[in-house]
Amino acid sequence: MQKEIKHTFYFSQTPEEVWEYLTNPELMAQWLMPSDFKPLVGHHFRFTNPNNTFVVCEVLEVKPFTHLSYVWKNDWAVTKTPYTSKVSWTLTSIEGGTELFLVHSGFEVFKNLTDHNGGWMFLCNKLVELLKATK
Amino acid sequence: MRTQTLDAFQVIADPSRRQMLMMLSKESMTINSLADNFDMSRPAVSKHIKILYGAGFISITDIGRERHCMLKQEGFNELQNFINFFDKFWLTKLRKLETILNNKAK
Repeated sequence: MQKEIKHTFYFSQTPEEVWEYLTNPELMAQWLMPSDFKPLVGHHFRFTNPNNTFVVCEVLEVKPFTHLSYVWKNDWAVTKTPYTSKVSWTLTSIEGGTELFLVHSGFEVFKNLTDHNGGWMFLCNKLVELLKATK
Repeated sequence: MRTQTLDAFQVIADPSRRQMLMMLSKESMTINSLADNFDMSRPAVSKHIKILYGAGFISITDIGRERHCMLKQEGFNELQNFINFFDKFWLTKLRKLETILNNKAK
């Protein structure tokens, strides 16, 4: 079972230009969502979903043009299924442009399952085996 | 006892239920043998089992006088759906960014 999300995209722009699209709220709104983001560690901000619910965030790391991460939580006031997670962006200068690497991970719900020895992966692998065996 | 309906996240939020899933991942067990590992009343164990069963994390088969619990995929699917949702979300957003930047480069 997959526990985290990873995507790599390539752009012909420089890391500085791509960085703008990750950190300037006006540009972020064009492809992601409206927000009151500021590239300051510890800054609390929110993305506004199209249905007027919020993603509640806090900036964790800012290394201009190379790395950005923030806490990504749902609005606990409106959902009975709270979760917290981390969104992390890494920009690498490559020939002809920029590699943008996204990791969305640290989902609390999965971390909880690894408290006990054996862990989540063991559980999932075992499940796959069990299901194969019953076929 | 009223059968509680909890979603997959609420189901695994409880340490005892996580422990039960972990134990069942090693082997299928009877409710009695599961209960032996927990310092709680039988009704309390039964309640947890009922919740795991209700959310599709386990199946229960009666063999003779014993009730055997086994892991089941259904409950885990909801957790996977949650990840899949965000996977699709980011892919859609990043493609949008790609379009914007590609147009800008022209």
